[in-house]
Amino acid sequence: MNKWWWLLLIVSCWMAVGVAMFGPRQGQNSSMPPLPDRVGRIVSLAPNITEILFDIGLGDEIVGVTLDSDYPPAAAEKPKVGTFWQPDIEAVVAARPEMVITLGFEQQKNLAERLRRIGYNSLTVNIDKVSELFEAVGRIGAATGRQRQANELISRIRIKLQQLASLVGAEDKVRVLWVVQREPLRVAGRDTFINEMIELAGGENAIGPTVHKYPPIGSEQVIACNAEVIIESAMAREDIENQRDMALRYWSKFKYLPAVANHRVYVIDGDTVSRLGPRLYKGIETIARYLRPYLFEN
Amino acid sequence: MEQLLTSKKLIAKVALALAVLAAVVFVCSRIGTEDVSLKAVLAGPGTQAAPNPDYEIFIRIRLPRIILAGLVGAALACAGVVFQVLLRNPLADPYILGISSGAGLGAIIAVISGFNWTLWGRSPIAVFAFGGALGTVWLVWFIGRLTGKFHVTGLLLAGVVVNAFFSALMMFLTSIAKSDQVYSTIFWLMGNMKEGDFLVLWIAAGCIIGGIVALFYIGPQLNALSFGADDAGSMGVDVVRTRTIAFGIAAGITAVAVSLSGLIGFVGLVVPHGVRLVFGPDHRQLLPLSGITGAIFLVIADTLARIVVAPAQLPVGVVTAIVGGPFFLILLVKYSRKVSWLK
Repeated sequence: MNKWWWLLLIVSCWMAVGVAMFGPRQGQNSSMPPLPDRVGRIVSLAPNITEILFDIGLGDEIVGVTLDSDYPPAAAEKPKVGTFWQPDIEAVVAARPEMVITLGFEQQKNLAERLRRIGYNSLTVNIDKVSELFEAVGRIGAATGRQRQANELISRIRIKLQQLASLVGAEDKVRVLWVVQREPLRVAGRDTFINEMIELAGGENAIGPTVHKYPPIGSEQVIACNAEVIIESAMAREDIENQRDMALRYWSKFKYLPAVANHRVYVIDGDTVSRLGPRLYKGIETIARYLRPYLFEN
Repeated sequence: MEQLLTSKKLIAKVALALAVLAAVVFVCSRIGTEDVSLKAVLAGPGTQAAPNPDYEIFIRIRLPRIILAGLVGAALACAGVVFQVLLRNPLADPYILGISSGAGLGAIIAVISGFNWTLWGRSPIAVFAFGGALGTVWLVWFIGRLTGKFHVTGLLLAGVVVNAFFSALMMFLTSIAKSDQVYSTIFWLMGNMKEGDFLVLWIAAGCIIGGIVALFYIGPQLNALSFGADDAGSMGVDVVRTRTIAFGIAAGITAVAVSLSGLIGFVGLVVPHGVRLVFGPDHRQLLPLSGITGAIFLVIADTLARIVVAPAQLPVGVVTAIVGGPFFLILLVKYSRKVSWLK
C-alpha cells in the first residue's frame, strides 16, 4: 500500500505547487495595456466587422482580417489571421494588435478570452439581429475613439432602412419560403436574422413558429405553407446560374404552389444576405425587389 | 519466444522513448505559422511598453498547446490500453463506454445555453464536457453492475446503448440550434486543440501523469486479467478491486483529456495496438510506452493540423485518423505474427 500513499502525496504536492505558482492571484495582476485615445492597430475576426471598421474610417488601421473578409476590396489585401471559424491565435499575436474585435459565438469569444489572458485588448460584439448591429457599431466606435463616425454610420443605415420601409410598408405582406438547403429540405424559421430581413423587405415567413431555428420540413408543409415567393441562397457567387436551374427543376414538382405557378423562385447571392453589416439594406432591397418587382420599375 | 522483461530493459526503453518525445517536442515547437527565433525567445518577455512577440507566441501560445497535445495523447493511449484489457476486446477504445457522447452532450448543452462564466480560465464547455463524461461512465458502470458482478458483455451493451441514446439527444439539440452553435459543436466533436492556461496545464499534468503511474502499479494484475477473470482469480489477483481501480482511473484521465481538447479519435485505439504489436503485451511496459507514443503521435498530428492549411487549421481528429490509419495498417501486416490475439 505504501507506493499508493507516495503517489497521492506527490500528486497533492504537485497540485499545491501549481496553484501557488499560477493560481488566480496571478491572473489578476496581469493588467491590460492602457488603451490609447485612438486605437491604431486593429485585428478584425469577421467580415461584417471589417466592413464596419472600413465604414467608420479605420481601414488603414486594420492589421489583420479573416480569410473571408473580401469587402470592401481593400480588405482582401490585408494580412490574414485564419478563418472565421478557426482564427489562428499565433497570427493574431504576430500582427501586434492594440485591439482585437470578435463576434460573440463560442470559437471567437473563446479566442478573445485567451487573448485577454495573454494581455491583449479585445472587444466582443454580438451581431445576430438588426438591432444588435446598431449596438455593435456604437460599441466599436466607442472602443476605438471613432464615436462620431459610428453615429454617422448608424444614421446612414437607419435612413436607408426607413426609405425601404416607406416604399414597401403599406402593401400586404408577401408569403416567403426561404430555403437554406434543398436535400433534405430546410428553411429559415421565425427566430432567425433572415426572418427579420424578410419582414423588413415587406414579406412574412410562410412557415409559422417552429422549435428549430432552421426547421427541416416535408412536402406536406411545403404545400400547406402556400408560399408566394421562394428564395434560395447560393453559397458561392459562381454557382447562382447553376443553382437556379436545379432549383427550378426541383420546385417544378410543387406546381400548384403559387410561387412555382407564377415563376417566382429566386436564387440570391448568399453573401449579400448572410452578413449582418453596413450593407444590410442592399440585401433587404434585393429581397424587396423579388417580392414586389413593380415597386422598383422606375 | 519473447524475452523476459527486466527493470533495466524497461528503464532503457522508457528513457529512449522519452528522448524521442523530447526531440519531437523540440522540432514541433520550431514549426508554426509564425517564424519564431529561439534567440529572441530566450531574451525574455520584454516590457509592457515593448513586449517581445516571439516570446509571447512561443511561451504563451505554442508551447502550452504542444504540452497539452502530449498530455491528451498520453491519457487517451493509456486509457485505451486499459479498456482493451478490461473488456477483453481489441475494438475497445477510451470512448467505448459512452464517454464521448456524454462529453459531447455536455458540450452542446453548454454551447446552446450560451453561458458566459469561466472556471479556472476554462470555458463552460470544458466543465460540462468533464461532468458529462464522468456522469455517463458512472451510469454505464452502474447499469453494468446491475447485469452481474462485472459482466463484460453487459457493460459493453450498456455502453453502446447509452452512447446511442446520448448521440440521439445530441443530434436533436444540434438540429434545433443556431448555425454558429452547430459549427462550434462540430469543431469540438472533431477535436479542438488550443493552448491552455498554465494552471490548467499543470493540474491536468498532475492528474494524467499520476493516473498513468497508478495504472503502471497495477500492470502485473492487468497482465493476469488479460487471461480472463477466472484465471486471474486463480493466480491470486483481486479481480474486482483491480478492475474498479483500472476502470476508475482510465475513465478519469479520459474525462480530463476530453474536457481539454474535445473528441480526438483514433489515438486511444491505434496507439495501444501499435505498441502491443511492436513491443508485446506486457502491461508493465505497454502502459508507459503507450503513454509516450500517444504523446508523440498527438504532438505530431496537432503540429500538422496547425500548419497544413495555415493560417487556417484542421481539426486534429481528422489528422489523427488520416495519418494514423495507414501507419497502423503497415504495423498490423508487418508484426501480426508476433501477437497471439490475432490468431
